[in-house]
Amino acid sequence: MGGQACVLYGAAEFSRDVDLAIIASPANLSRLRKALAELKADVIAVPPFQLKYLRKGHAIHFRCFAPETNGLRVDVMTKMRGVDSFAKLWRRRVTLEARNGTSYQLMSLPDLVTAKKTQRDKDWPMIRRLVEGNYFKHRENATRSQLKFWFLELRTAELLLALASEHPKLCHTLATRRRLLKFGALHDKVTLTEALFEEENAEREADRRYWAPLKAELEKLRHARLVR
Amino acid sequence: MISAEELVGEEQAEWYAMTPMERWRESGKLWEVYLAMGGSLDPEPDTQSPFFDPEEPSPRPVDGGSGLRVVRRGRVQP
Repeated sequence: MGGQACVLYGAAEFSRDVDLAIIASPANLSRLRKALAELKADVIAVPPFQLKYLRKGHAIHFRCFAPETNGLRVDVMTKMRGVDSFAKLWRRRVTLEARNGTSYQLMSLPDLVTAKKTQRDKDWPMIRRLVEGNYFKHRENATRSQLKFWFLELRTAELLLALASEHPKLCHTLATRRRLLKFGALHDKVTLTEALFEEENAEREADRRYWAPLKAELEKLRHARLVR
Repeated sequence: MISAEELVGEEQAEWYAMTPMERWRESGKLWEVYLAMGGSLDPEPDTQSPFFDPEEPSPRPVDGGSGLRVVRRGRVQP
């Protein structure tokens, strides 16, 4: 009757695809093609798997047909709104190693949070949880850079207010980078909650504007595919 | 100081307290159950995504046929 039932009815889901950020260079694409061939991955939908589309900011969508990954979706992209170049992302990456020795290269948390600021409803509770989790994990021994990250990215009014009362000077300094910190310093939860909502809406609108020309291009490609 | 339990409840707080690899293992267990029940690997249609394509063909179930079928529906079930 809880989360599992929500999954079965289709309201809740956990991530079922793999998103990869890559360097869009001919050499790297050739390596990627080999890896995708091992997974028997086919391009689904538009755009086609070409460097020019990746460089414009499109994602290429694949579905795998190798037995051990049958049906798995893989999305590849190289450029995301507001996110630094791949070289910088790679320098800041986090590497996790599983017991079997497999290592996983993850986008750093601040970069992931930036990448998640999209027009989609589902990304916003995710951002909130990502930053909250990081806050609870490290707040006892927080570094200045962690404090700055929380001030700039927390989406939980209660935690922002607590942070502002513990570090008023830093809050004041960072208010030039995040307008709503002015409200945080006022200890007003209602106003802060409204400001968080406005901030989210502004980002969602910016994402819609960013995607407008890319969506138009996707539409053209879909149309061309139907005509063929 | 606000506690994680107070803010997000025990279950979520427990999740926050895990290491990344502990979370990886825990979600691996959920995956096993999900796939055993015939869950599909295809993401839910995401109409808000700029990538959303209503024409995109639906995939086959992961194992060629769903492991789960409805054998009884409640009265309010559409």
